[in-house]
Amino acid sequence: MIPLLAVDLLLMLPALLLLGVVFLLPLLRDAWLSLHASTVVTGLMAVPNGAANWWRLFDDARFRQDAFQTVRFTGVSVALELVLGLGLALLLHRPGRGRALLRALVLLPWALPTTVMALGWRWILNDPHGPLNGLLQAVGLPTFGFLTTPSTTWLAVVVADVWKTTPFVALLLLAGLQSIPVDLVEALQLEGAGRLTILRRLTLPLLAPWIALALLFRIAQSLGVFDLIQVLTGGGPAGSTESLAMYAYRQSLRFLDFGYGATVLMATFLLLLLPGVIWLLLQNRLPRRTA
Amino acid sequence: MPPLPPVPRFLRRLLTVLAAALLLLLLPAAAREASSASAEITVRVLLPAPFHDATTRELPQFHRDHPGVNLELVRGPLDTDAIQDLAIGSLLLGDTPFDIMMMDVSWMPLFTAAGWLSPLEPYLGAGMLAAMEPGARPGNSFDGHLWRMPYSGDTGLLFWRTDLMPLPPRTTDELVRISRDLQRSGRVRWGYLWQGRQYEGLSCVMLEVIHAFGGRWWNPASGRTELDRPSALQAARWLEDLVKEGITPPSVAGFAENEALQQFAAGEAAFLRNWPYAWKVIENGGGPVVGHVGVAPVVVAPGQEAGGTLGTWGFSLLRGSAHPREAAEAIRWLTGPEMQRSLALNEGYAPTWTALYEDEALQKGAPLLAVQRQALAAGPLLRPPTPLYAQLSDVMQRQANAMITGQSDAVSAMSAAQARSDALIRAMTGTPR
Repeated sequence: MIPLLAVDLLLMLPALLLLGVVFLLPLLRDAWLSLHASTVVTGLMAVPNGAANWWRLFDDARFRQDAFQTVRFTGVSVALELVLGLGLALLLHRPGRGRALLRALVLLPWALPTTVMALGWRWILNDPHGPLNGLLQAVGLPTFGFLTTPSTTWLAVVVADVWKTTPFVALLLLAGLQSIPVDLVEALQLEGAGRLTILRRLTLPLLAPWIALALLFRIAQSLGVFDLIQVLTGGGPAGSTESLAMYAYRQSLRFLDFGYGATVLMATFLLLLLPGVIWLLLQNRLPRRTA
Repeated sequence: MPPLPPVPRFLRRLLTVLAAALLLLLLPAAAREASSASAEITVRVLLPAPFHDATTRELPQFHRDHPGVNLELVRGPLDTDAIQDLAIGSLLLGDTPFDIMMMDVSWMPLFTAAGWLSPLEPYLGAGMLAAMEPGARPGNSFDGHLWRMPYSGDTGLLFWRTDLMPLPPRTTDELVRISRDLQRSGRVRWGYLWQGRQYEGLSCVMLEVIHAFGGRWWNPASGRTELDRPSALQAARWLEDLVKEGITPPSVAGFAENEALQQFAAGEAAFLRNWPYAWKVIENGGGPVVGHVGVAPVVVAPGQEAGGTLGTWGFSLLRGSAHPREAAEAIRWLTGPEMQRSLALNEGYAPTWTALYEDEALQKGAPLLAVQRQALAAGPLLRPPTPLYAQLSDVMQRQANAMITGQSDAVSAMSAAQARSDALIRAMTGTPR
């Protein structure tokens, strides 16, 4: 008879192998490459250079700027998406006529390919010929360089991202709302609880794991943001919207500096690990539902 | 043994549909297999959308002259940066699907250093460039090999409004004075439009203006940049002041070639900096300035020599090509005098062959020819010919764009650009501090 542990391991083997090939191997390769010089100067060969790439990273003001910009983008856009997504989910959860149509409509921005919608926003925000500046001019205001003002262009990127991804958050939270038993709500109503009380005492606590899940998905995705910014601003103006993923991409694929590109990617990965760890810690502290 | 249950009807239908779909997918592949059996060699070229369309017009002639060779032009994206990413991506795979790649002059040092190209002189001979205008030759040969044949001899040019002034300005001061007068009298909204977006076009503008004030971006002898010299600072300050004083609109910070061209074509400005193709686009566009556009060399500071940025494209042979001989012949045709005659007539691109500039019939059909030859004779400017150019240009774009958007000023932008370029060269070449 085969011991139970061996059966467990055997059953997990295919999944572990897959994870190893698509996740662990590239990660190890990236870590290895970050300790090498691999550029056109070295003939695209990997030559060991100790920790030179990492020293360069600690000295790299652009990396720090991009890290700050990426975290700022993530914090603001995910917070907005959560608040708006929750509101939208509560709205869509209410019974009423046309709910199916409304749900389909809300999902539309999310279904659009990112590059297409980023190009759309680029036209909308064009200075001076975009429709938004057309509106400003129509009411007698001067045009505004939405995509050419380094201090505020990141907000335009946030708006585009919130517009596109709020439906995703709303959908997740809607699924959570539908998993809350109706009799619990009715019981509270019988005891005379108002809407706000129900939301605060029942809905939100039961929704917490779903909120955590939405946050995890969104934070991980936002920290790696690339396509939206690449198309909308190309990282400009004056580099004020460049994200870490774009920086790593440029180092490797535009500049052919694979060693340093790997280092930037590795550092980004470590940064990404942080919210994951925090989530795991938080999850252990959440009240566990007994099955 | 119990009999097998009958296959449900929906499953049978599904299988039929799947089989039909599979057959449809396989058929074209089989057809391709059959056509390659007839000993026809296919040569694949990747080129940006506008060049693809201009070249395709002449393609039937190639196939008449070269039986047995199928020249396949693959239409890439329009944007230079996007097509560079595509080109590099396909080359990094090691086994590229292309035989020939259309190359911007600024990519050449990087692509040759990466070892992706095959020299052309074994197939075309060593003297290919000799019959070309001297100004069209740089940027094609490195280390004694010919790596690229130029498709055009385009340089940066100044477009001006013949209905607003009798003669174009020659100096930076004249351009500012004319713009200011015209703007004050309300005859035109803006003075001078150029490319200020954070992208490669801004580097072309910076190279031109730095040279116009007697400086240079790159010192080939020392292998370093010279961006904190007084002449480079003066150049940056001139651009900064154009925006500050309202001669150039602040929205120039988001302008690539097309945005600037459209605003000029709409009659909103007196001057435009662009490439030769702009003239045909404006003249065919039917806007208010049609028939009122002149073309001149770019302006320079008083006492300096004229020179526009060399912005030529050309064709290179990729090392992985299975048919280098046929591909080299295709390059000869793609860059030959007949192709360039058609491009000059239909697109307004500058030829590289001297004979075409002396062709009187062509001069009538392509009125820009004289000024294009003048610009090429003035010694057009090559962007720093180093494999690190992509990084240096990236540094320049960020700093110059910060200056144009008012986030920084000319002095701090140029000193930052110099410091970052130095740090970059140190990090990449391992030169000690």
